[in-house]
Amino acid sequence: MKNSRITILFIVACVAFMFSFLLNVSLGSVSIYPDEILEGLITGSWVKTSHAQIILNYRLPKAVVALLAGVGLSLSGLQMQTFFRNPLAGPFVLGISSGAGLGVALLMLAGSAFGISALSGGLSAWAIVGAGTLGAGLVMILVSLVAWRIQDSMTLLIVGLMFGSAVSAIVSVLSYFSGADALKLFTVWSMGSLGGLAWPQVVVLGTVVLVGIFPVILSVKSFNAMLLGERYAKSMGVNPTFLRWMMILSTGLLAGSITAFCGPIAFIGIAVPHLARIMWRTSDHRILFPASALLGAILLLLCDVAGQLPGSAQMLPINAVTSLVGAPIVIGLVLRRNFSKEF
Amino acid sequence: MKKSTIVAKNLTLGYATSNPKKAVLENLSFQLFENELTCLLGPNGVGKSTLIKAILGQLKPWSGELTLNEKNIQNFSNPELSKALSVVLSEPVLPGNMTVGQLVALGRIPHTGWTGRLAIHDRDLIENALYLTKTEVLKDERLSEISDGQRQKAMIARALAQDGKVMVLDEPTAHLDLVNRYQIMHLLRDIATKQQKSILVVTHDLEIALETADRLLLLSNTFPLVSGLPEDLVISGQLDRLLPGDEFRFNIEKGKIEQKNPTSQVVIVGNQVIGFWVRKALEKARINKLELPIFVMDGDFTLSYGAQEFHRIGALIDYLKITQKS
Repeated sequence: MKNSRITILFIVACVAFMFSFLLNVSLGSVSIYPDEILEGLITGSWVKTSHAQIILNYRLPKAVVALLAGVGLSLSGLQMQTFFRNPLAGPFVLGISSGAGLGVALLMLAGSAFGISALSGGLSAWAIVGAGTLGAGLVMILVSLVAWRIQDSMTLLIVGLMFGSAVSAIVSVLSYFSGADALKLFTVWSMGSLGGLAWPQVVVLGTVVLVGIFPVILSVKSFNAMLLGERYAKSMGVNPTFLRWMMILSTGLLAGSITAFCGPIAFIGIAVPHLARIMWRTSDHRILFPASALLGAILLLLCDVAGQLPGSAQMLPINAVTSLVGAPIVIGLVLRRNFSKEF
Repeated sequence: MKKSTIVAKNLTLGYATSNPKKAVLENLSFQLFENELTCLLGPNGVGKSTLIKAILGQLKPWSGELTLNEKNIQNFSNPELSKALSVVLSEPVLPGNMTVGQLVALGRIPHTGWTGRLAIHDRDLIENALYLTKTEVLKDERLSEISDGQRQKAMIARALAQDGKVMVLDEPTAHLDLVNRYQIMHLLRDIATKQQKSILVVTHDLEIALETADRLLLLSNTFPLVSGLPEDLVISGQLDRLLPGDEFRFNIEKGKIEQKNPTSQVVIVGNQVIGFWVRKALEKARINKLELPIFVMDGDFTLSYGAQEFHRIGALIDYLKITQKS
């Protein structure tokens, strides 16, 4: 009976995922019906060439990015929460988003702060991605060096948070001294965006995310053991140090690449694992990982739809939408069920 | 000849970070045997947890030898050790969403493949562990919705499902009520004898340990480790070593610890059982001498002292206190 409940939930989630993907692609400043999209994708003949243009070069890559980001952030959030045994942990507790932020801030703001206009030619997407990757990678390497020396996972958590704060402080200093245009540009980046990426970038992001999922699959069993805490896990033959490296590698790749490509996307990473736990009513990671991945993708696709403000040409930043839409959902679920006991 | 599982020879344990380097435990030698429940007793801070850490292979001995099945514990790899030894730690665990069945299934982690898929053999062992700990009915209950005693039994079931020869339990009965404390210790005793396990329990419950343990290990700050049959230790008076200072002693007749009081010289005549409790109450009230005897009358419970009659011990004591003061 219990297993069938889990299966039904997965089927429902898969259907919901397909629905939200189609919805995401079809809604926007111009609404295009799903049947037209499906027909166009399958047969290759479109009713209007402009529609083909919109769907193939703009909306599809954006939907795929939303899918990848939703999956990646949820998976890294779940890993962090279980590893640190902390319901407030998320993909960014080890300072990854701050690191990416620093990289991008250096690119966008440093020129302006030092009185040189680096922005005159405009910034290519690749430059932003590169800067974000470098920044996230740098912080991950620093955290790893510390992780090499310490045994205690709580210490690692604190060190990660401290790195994050220190790096954010550098970004603040840069912002303080930079010009209005550059500052606006950076602020918009820090609100996150799923669009603006072309297919080559989407392919790179997709590859990195796939690679980042591998360590998760390898360590599913160990994460289940970690539910009882590090000492119990050890007594069951799990090597917490190895698991920690797997986790740093995985979240570094997932959260790092997503933040570099899309900016820091708040909320999904922390909230989705909780939603998965509440809905599937289990703590088994063999169920929680796929469930979180599905839910994350659905939620981010739907948030993107809401952010499009269908029918209008205006758009809201994705970060604002994820929090505005997501926070009430989570508060509702948390109040309805006993949240701390579910963890 | 009994087969020994864990053997310690001249073991000295300590932490590398302590400054100046001071050993927590020195020159320990003891053995755990198959089919036996051994209880480790000792005051707080004597190094019981340090010893447990060493047994779990998490602390390298400074000197001496600690072996499990004749192999040095330090030479076990983590996965190897997890197949030979399982634990119930004193720290609380609370993944509330987990059911008792899932918790017990976690015990099979050292034996399953990377996905953690359970084979028929694994399922049998899980069922057996649930059966032995009498937790089958709780199988689908969530850990957040069962009592502390039930949760502790589930933790024991998990350790049992791990199917090592040796089980180490760090204060499994702390925070539990009297009935649960007895139940759990008797359960462990049954498991040790029927499942051919070697079980080490750290506990502070001397009375229950005396009743259930096959062997006691006594650690104290001032004496070397003592080990032996509980009854031998009682008769040789070594249990008093657990009680530093002069304040308490182990009463060999009653089988329990009591405060060292000047022996009561009150004369109580009548029903011996009621007399026992009256004397106990008087001792607590520090009344050790009375001019007249107390008569206990059966049937309608009455105590008479001199010309006075009382129907409750409390009333008698109140009266005695007033008269003795004046």
